[in-house]
This record gives sequence, structure tokens and C-alpha cells, in this order.
Amino acid sequence: MSEISPEVPDNRQDAPSHVDPNSTRITKPGVKRLVLTLSVLFSLVLGFPFLWKSVEIYRSSLPFGEISEMESNPSLSFPCRFQAVFINFNSNPSPNHLQLSILDKITELTSNSSQCGACANDLALSVTVDSISSCTQTHPTDNSNYYRCGAISAVDFDFSNDDDDGVDELLESVLGVKNVYSVVVVNGGGEGIRAVVGKYRHAWIVGSVEEEEEESVLVSRVAEIFVKMFVNGGTENGLIHGEFMPVGADRRIVLSFNLLNAEPNDWVYDWDFQRVDETLLAPIIKVLGPIANISVESQVLYHTPKSSFSYWDEKWKSYIFSTKDLPFFVNSNEWHLDTSIAAGGRSKILQFVVYVPSAKECPLSLLLPTGEISKTNGFISPMWGGVVVWNPPGCLNSETNHPSRHTMSREDLQAVFEVFMGQFRQLFGLKSNNLYIGASGTYHLLPSGKGFTEWELDVLSRQFACFNLHSCATTLGSLSRLVQSLPRMIIMDEIGKLVQFSLEAAKLAQSNASLGDNESSAVSSGQARSLAEDAFFHPSIMSISYYSFEHCFAIYSPFFLPVSMHVLLAALREWKRYKQEKAKYTAWKAKVKVES
Amino acid sequence: MAILLSRRSNLLAVVVLLLCQLFLYATVSSSGSVLKQGGGEEFSEELLLKPFPDRKVLAHFHFQSRAPHSSSHGRHHHLFPKAIAQLVKKFRVKEMELSFTQGRWRYEQWGGFDPLSSNNAKPPGVELWAVFDVPQSLVDVYWRNLTHTLSGLFCASINFLESSTTYSAPELTFKPSFGNLRYGTLPREAVCTENLTPWLKLLPCRDKAGLSALMDRPSIYRGFYHSQRLRLTSSESGSDEVDSGIGLDQTLTVVLQPSSWRTGKTYSVETNIQPSWSISSIFGRNIPGKCVIAKSSNVYLQLDNGLVGELKNLERENAKYVANTFESEGFQSNHAFKISVTPDKVFEEVDNLHGKSTSVIYGFSVEKYSDSQPFDLGLTWKIPVVWSCQQAPLHASRFLMGSGNERGAIAISLEPTESSEGLPTSHIIDGRCELRVDIFQVVPWYIKVYFHTLQVFVDKQPRAMADVVDKIRVSPSKDKVSPGVMEMILKLPCGSKSAAFSLEFDKGFLHIDEYPPDANQGFDIPSALISFPSFNARMNFSEDEFLNNSPILSKFQHALQRHHHYMHSICIVFWIIAQCASEAC
Repeated sequence: MSEISPEVPDNRQDAPSHVDPNSTRITKPGVKRLVLTLSVLFSLVLGFPFLWKSVEIYRSSLPFGEISEMESNPSLSFPCRFQAVFINFNSNPSPNHLQLSILDKITELTSNSSQCGACANDLALSVTVDSISSCTQTHPTDNSNYYRCGAISAVDFDFSNDDDDGVDELLESVLGVKNVYSVVVVNGGGEGIRAVVGKYRHAWIVGSVEEEEEESVLVSRVAEIFVKMFVNGGTENGLIHGEFMPVGADRRIVLSFNLLNAEPNDWVYDWDFQRVDETLLAPIIKVLGPIANISVESQVLYHTPKSSFSYWDEKWKSYIFSTKDLPFFVNSNEWHLDTSIAAGGRSKILQFVVYVPSAKECPLSLLLPTGEISKTNGFISPMWGGVVVWNPPGCLNSETNHPSRHTMSREDLQAVFEVFMGQFRQLFGLKSNNLYIGASGTYHLLPSGKGFTEWELDVLSRQFACFNLHSCATTLGSLSRLVQSLPRMIIMDEIGKLVQFSLEAAKLAQSNASLGDNESSAVSSGQARSLAEDAFFHPSIMSISYYSFEHCFAIYSPFFLPVSMHVLLAALREWKRYKQEKAKYTAWKAKVKVES
Repeated sequence: MAILLSRRSNLLAVVVLLLCQLFLYATVSSSGSVLKQGGGEEFSEELLLKPFPDRKVLAHFHFQSRAPHSSSHGRHHHLFPKAIAQLVKKFRVKEMELSFTQGRWRYEQWGGFDPLSSNNAKPPGVELWAVFDVPQSLVDVYWRNLTHTLSGLFCASINFLESSTTYSAPELTFKPSFGNLRYGTLPREAVCTENLTPWLKLLPCRDKAGLSALMDRPSIYRGFYHSQRLRLTSSESGSDEVDSGIGLDQTLTVVLQPSSWRTGKTYSVETNIQPSWSISSIFGRNIPGKCVIAKSSNVYLQLDNGLVGELKNLERENAKYVANTFESEGFQSNHAFKISVTPDKVFEEVDNLHGKSTSVIYGFSVEKYSDSQPFDLGLTWKIPVVWSCQQAPLHASRFLMGSGNERGAIAISLEPTESSEGLPTSHIIDGRCELRVDIFQVVPWYIKVYFHTLQVFVDKQPRAMADVVDKIRVSPSKDKVSPGVMEMILKLPCGSKSAAFSLEFDKGFLHIDEYPPDANQGFDIPSALISFPSFNARMNFSEDEFLNNSPILSKFQHALQRHHHYMHSICIVFWIIAQCASEAC
């Protein structure tokens, strides 16, 4: 058709017959076809941006700046309020001098540890020297409820006797102020210096101090109590780090207690866990409420041999398994401890196992590397739980053939649970014994009936907040790196919202922390962490994570490539033809002009 | 998940910290009494063996765990599996049954009317139904969560029952329910050891001791029928002292072919002598004593009434054996067969309505056996015996009609079994003799059934639907949303020789990704369920204290009111038009 149409006008014209249609043209070439093809091409080109816009992937904008800012500095600064009260000091040391020397010591002790949750910047110390004749006090800038002069002298208590619990309760009634940690130094009593850390937020040091150099000893001990106990929780370096806090992202812990009868054909033991739950565990669960929501469950399992070997040792008169067997003690094939259905997806489950050995290996004892038998006969595995081997009474002498069913006696059960309690504290990174040996002396720790003392709970909630914030920052950081590395990844609005909420909660945790509210800081940091994980594990990220340019091209090219090629080629050809015809026409015109 | 976790624990245990000294927490009050053994939780195990007329042997394991309703809200367990108790509590399950089945129950040869077959014959694949104790609007949510949990618990693809195209809510025929029942099947789920192991994990002794020690995997999976079942019932405290709490019944039904090496060559020539067998010959193992935690541990050998009747006839014919009467010797050693162990108890069925002969059950207690002296029960046949099992009142079959890739028809035909002339006539309602039959059929959405094309034939004559169908409930399928469900309550006139129903359907057009893997095998239409509510599949034994303590025998005695009969799934082939999305094609 394109061949015919240009010739039609030629035929219509009564042109001279000698004109060569290949080289000359006597009519003006028409632009209709050119306009038509060009308009199609033009509309295609115009439509392209619309297409581009319509296949654009949706990316909710994430606050990358804020995320990287938080990732670089995910720290919480808790304020520390200390007070030291010196009682019955005859030499009347200057409180300002004492304050300075204690602060020096504190900075010296904190300088080499950069633990999150420790008070690095916001530290205030008040020192009171309270003697019968006079009372001098230094006041830090803020007006917290510090010690009132004469309050301890007024109750007139004898610190020198050994009634630690009595002293503790008394000091609580006098000093009981939240967020302020106190050390009371009492001059007098017997020889030597005795330091006790109470159940609440105070400690006391009793000793006769006469000389100048003993004062410096006292100062260093006061500073040590503040830093090592009240701030760091009495943990030594190398014990469980804060990152291994066994708390699930939804602030839940499931304590799963298991009584394993290795060989029920020898004997079957049962326990009355109900009562243990009510009497021993309930107060602990209540006390740990701000940190974690704890639920308890128990079961008895049978036919559950351990998977390591033990050997008979004549010296100890028992079967021995040593510390190097411990990695193989837990028999994951036969111990169906089970994850709990009651626990949600992100809850942490801690397994506590009482292992009742079979008659073939009874009594079974754990040999420590020091060559002694472990007193607890148990071990823990961080983030997993603990195991206690419990040897049934009289397992050596009784040779019964028929299996008998027993119930663990209350005393045995209590002993086992005391070990479990210690293991539970260890899993949280706290000490399991009641003696702390510091650089400048030993400290007695008063145990709380609830398992955790108040200052320990403060330490835990601070650590927990730190750990949460840290994990939140890491999660958001990796999310932002992932999102930035895949520029064509779809990001739903929900993810953007979750990230935003998580950042807000993290900021709230930081501001709460600086106000000194440990508990609400722990709660909001927990929210920040769980929101960050929600964002990271959002199903939309998991399903279509990557929609590359190649993919996009492969989808649309089968539709658009054939069409656009034709349109483009047609336009080009038409343009070429028009130019050619135009040239012929102008040539003819010029010729006519010359001829005329 | 559990395995993964404990694996990790093994690694972590390397970083082990030792406790050196105790931190003493003295708070225990000194009140309380001696603990009731196991916190009131009970476990019992039983095994029923039964010879079948077609030379096979049925082994039916029954494990029963009971947990009373406790004040601790089911958090502390002594015998009862923790996982199940938590599942019941979390998903508010009132009743639940999950079965994994491989193979078909042969109703003609293995019986279709005794309590054993009507309770334990299950459709192939996975069948799950559950009744929830939640408001109707929440039932679907709970069902979905339950399927996911069970899927994890039993290592099976039960989570496919989550999609609304796979489950339905029967109201009329399956079980009386008030909208809180859900029923779903996966006809093509393969069943193997990975499903058995988690099931065994729920038993306190697993397969380490007791009757479950017999479960040698190659032996039990070599059988002709294998059905592993888990049934849960839970009730709130209060109403009934005995039944409150959670009950878990785990059964494993296998039909095995005993190898007849014991019979010797002389008998193996003769085809109609039953093969002699013993527990060790069919399972390859012995019973090494009871599971010590079990309250009771019993093995039963059942001879069904057809066999007993046949033996009695034989005895009458051979008057010379008159000395060995069944009654006097409890017939453990008579002219026909010999049982290797003296039974502790013999139960005879009394007052059976269905025939003159009654079935006999021998009971053996495993308590006195041990590792050194294992229990091995053997049955040796002396003379050939031929008998048949008790049949269901109707023989039901379902088949596909039509050809081509567009349409077809499903037909269900009911015929009286040979035992009765015409339909059984013992049920007269309002002066008319009728037989009530319930049919429950689920059809996937891609089989587009036209329910208006339902045709009814009685004695090969077309009948009006209203004459035969008493009640019908149909919920038509919605494409990609829900399956079609048909429930019918039929009243068939007595004396009719046959009844048939047909329904026409179109095969739906499926998108490429809606085809299952291996689609060339076709699609399975789930099994239909036929029940005869007016028949009672139960056995009566003379009242005995022992019976009430035995889960199997008490099940026999207080069997379901309904008599269930599954029609096996049929396979429809859809042609797949090859569609290719990738460049490689």
C-alpha cells in the first residue's frame, strides 16, 4: 500500500510523461502518513512514563538516619544516686573530703568497664558524717530524699551483734528511699571490718576505725560496694553476659521442670510439684514480674537414660561423671522435654531437669576439675537451663527386683529446688553464693526469701533494658542495611510503621532511663525490641523480598518490545520516505525555476 | 523444633558453669499430705488380637491416658502428655479425633458391624475432626491454629486443612453438633514412621517397655491396613466425677499377614487352613512385661461370632470330640486350635441380637511377665475352618460415571449384604418399615456438583426424592473458598433390593498453581461416610468389674450409637494442559 499511494497524485497530474518518477516529483509530498506514524510513536513515548510510574515498586520510607544514629549509640544512661553515712566517727572527718575520695575511687573502678547500664555520666554522691555531737552533710545538686541527720542514732541499734536481718530491716525503715543506694559505715564493735550487703538497697560496714589509713580502706570498700554490687550486681567478668538474658522477645519465660526417671523398672519417682509451685516459685515469679512474665509447667518422663558414660570410683563410693562429659549428658534423642505449646512463638523456655539415675549407676556424682565432688551435683547450660542429678535415698543397699513407686520427700525436693534457684540466678548472670570477694575484702550478701534482692532486681532491669535496646538497634540496623542494599525491594507501610514505633519506644526507654525509672525503661525497651523483630520478620519481607530490574524487564518486554519496535521502525521509514520525496520535489521545483 | 532445640542445648552445654555452693532460700511451709500416686493421672495399655477369615490377623493396640481436672489448670503432669494437655487448654478442644491411615479396611472380609470395625476403620490418609468449646465466630480461627499445632506435633501436613477449601462443618449426619464441629480430610497423606514416633512420644513408656515394645516398624508397616488414631475428650469439672478432665485414647490398628512357617509343609499345601501364628512371629518381638507405670496391661484374643459358630458346628459334627466342650475348658485346647498361654479370663458375649452364636474373648494379663520371661501368645490351628465376619446391614459403594474431561457423575449404591434378604426389617417407624441411613459427603470445589441433578433409584426404579430422602442439607461449593457438602438422612423402605443415588458434576478449570504435586495421579475425592443410626454396634458381656477397667472391652460394651462405614476415596483425573511459564520450555 505504501508503494501505491505516492504514485496516485502522479497519475492524477497531467504531468509531462517524460518525468522520471524515481528521481523527480512534481507535487508536494503529503505529511498525513508521517503525522500518523509519528503521533503513534509520540503517544507511545508519552505513555512510557505512565507505565514506568505504574510498575514502580512501593517503598515505605524508613528513617535510615535515626536508625544509624541509634545503632551507633544504643546506650542508656541511668542516674546513680549514692549516699554514704558515717556514724560514730570521733575524729570528725570532713564530708567533702570523704566525698571526693569516694568519687575518685568510683571513677577508678568504673574506668575499665564500659558496661551498658552502668552510670557513667550521671552520678551523685552525698556523704553524711553523723556523730553524737555534730552532723555534717554534703548535698549534691539535686534534692533527692537523702539521709536525715540523726535518723540512725535515734533508733539506737547495736550494729555489732550478728543479727544481720534485724539490721537490714532497721536500715530499710530508716533509709528506705527508692533509687538511692546507701552504705552505712559504723564505727565501733569488734575488731576487724565486716561488710554486709542487705536485701534492699543498702549495705553496712561495721568496724573500729581509729587511724587515718584505715579510713582510706573504708573509702575504697564503700566505693567497691557502690560499683561492684549496686551497679554491676556482684557479677565477675566472664560470667554470663547481658546479651544472654534468657528472656523471650515477648518478655515471657516458660520454666519447664522435668523429673526424669532414667529406668522406671528399677524405681519410679514422682513429685508433688503443685506445692513447690505454690510455695517456692510463686514469690520469685512475682518478684521478677517487671522483667519477665514467667509461667511454670512440669512433667515426669520415663525411660530417659543420659547419653554419657559414668564409671565406678571406689574413693567416692559412687559412679562418677566428670565435667568433660557434661556436653553429652543431655540426651536429646530420649529426653522429650518438648517445647511448650502454651508458650508463644518468641517465648524463652528454660528447662530444669531432675535426673534420677538407674540402679546401675546409682549414686551418680559429678566430679569437679578440682578433684572434688560437686555439692550441688548439677550444672547449667546458658540459655537452655539446668540439670540436677538426684540420687534416690539408699540406692546402694536396697536390692529390690520389683519396681517400686515413690514420691520425692519434701526435704529432698526443697534441696533440689535450692539448687535450681541458684541455677536460675546463674542463668540471669547473678552469683549463686552468699559471699563476694572483692579487691579490698569480702562482703556478705544477705539472701532474700524471694530469690532476688531489690538491688539485684534493679541491676537486672537495667541490664535487661540495655540488652533489649542493643538487640533492637542491631535488628533495625540490619533491616536498614538490607533495605538499602536491595533498592527494588518492596517495603510495606506496616514495616515503616513498625520501625517508627520501635524507634519511638526506644527513645522512650532512653528518656525513662535518664529519669531513673528502671522498670518502665525495661518495659518500653522490651516493646522496642519486639517491634523491631516484628518489622524484620514481617511476612511481606519474607515472601517477595526482591523484584529486580531484570525481572521487571522480563515481564514487560514480551508485551512492549514487539509493538514498540514496529512503531519505531514505521516512523523511521516514513520519515526517510518523506525526506526522500521532499528532496525530489525541491529538486524538481528548482529545475522548473531554472527552466522558467 | 524440640529436636532442634535440644541439639543446640548439647552444644551450649559445653559452656557449662558449675555450682559450688548453695544459696539458701528457706520458705517452704510444712503443710501438705502424701501425694496421691501420679496426681490422679492414669495410664493403661491393651492389645486385642483377632484372626480374620482371610488368613490375616488384626492387632489393635489401645493406650488410654486420663488426667483429672486439677486445680493447677493442667500445668503439672505426671503421666499425661504435657503437649496434649496444653493443646486442649489452648485451643479449647472439647473433642477431637485425628487418624492416620494407610490401606483400606475390607468391610466384606474383616467385618463391618462389630464395634471394632465401626470405631476403628478409617478413611485412607488423614482425617481430623474437632469440637471446640468457643463461640461459633471463633471456631474457624481455633481450627486453623489447631491444624498448625497438630502438624508440628505429628510431623504431617495437617496444616493443609487450614485452608477453608479443605474442611467443612457437618451438622446433620456426622455427629450431633451445634456449629462448633469442623471436619477435614487429606486423602492422599502418606503415613509412615515419622508420624508414629511423635505418637509414641505421648505414651509414658514410649516403645521402650510394655505392649508398645511390639511395634517393630518393618513389621507393622508391612501390613495390609495401618491406622493410627488419637482421640481426645475433655470436659469441665463438675457434672460427672468419673469423666471430668481429659481423656486421651491412642489406638493403632494393624492387619498383618502371619507368615505360616510354623505350620509346616503338610498344612501349607492345604489352602483353607488358617496360618498358625504367635506374637513373636507376626511382630518379630515379644512383650517384655508391662510398662511399669501402667495401671493395667492386658492382651486379648477375640474369636468373633462367625468363627465361634463354625467351631460349634464342627464340634457337633464330630461327636467324638464331645469331651472338649467350649464351656468346660474355655476351649483353649480343643480339636480345632490351641492357645499357647492359659488365659486369665474368658469373656463370652451374651444376648446377641444379630445371631445365635456369640463371640469369645480371652484375656491375658501381662503383669507377671518380665524381660527374662517374655509374654508370647500363639494360636495354632489344627483343622481348617472357614467362616465369615459380621457384615454391615448394607454394602455401600461409590463410583464415578461418565467420561471425558468436562463432566461426570458420582454414584452411590447401597445393596443389602448377603446375610439378609432385602433390607433388614427390624426397624418399624410409624407403622412403616424403614431403614434410616445417613450419608455425609464432602466434595472439593473443583468438582462442581449440581445438587439439583440428584437422582434416586430404589430397586432400579427412579423415585421422587421426597419419598426416600427424609432430610437433606447441602452447602454448595464456592470456587476457591469452600467445598461442597452434602448430608442426607434417608429412609429406605424395607425389603428393597438396592438403592442408588447419582449426582452430576462439571470438572472445574484449575489454574496452573492449583494443581497438587504429581497431578497426573488425579485428585482424590474424600471418603464419604455412611452410618446406620438405628443399628447398634455393641457387644454385651456379663457384668464384670474387670470389664470397666479395660478400655477396649468397655468401648465394645458402650460403643457409639452410630455405626460408621467409610466409602473409600475415589480418584478423579483432571487433564492438565501443559502450560509453561519459563523460557526453558
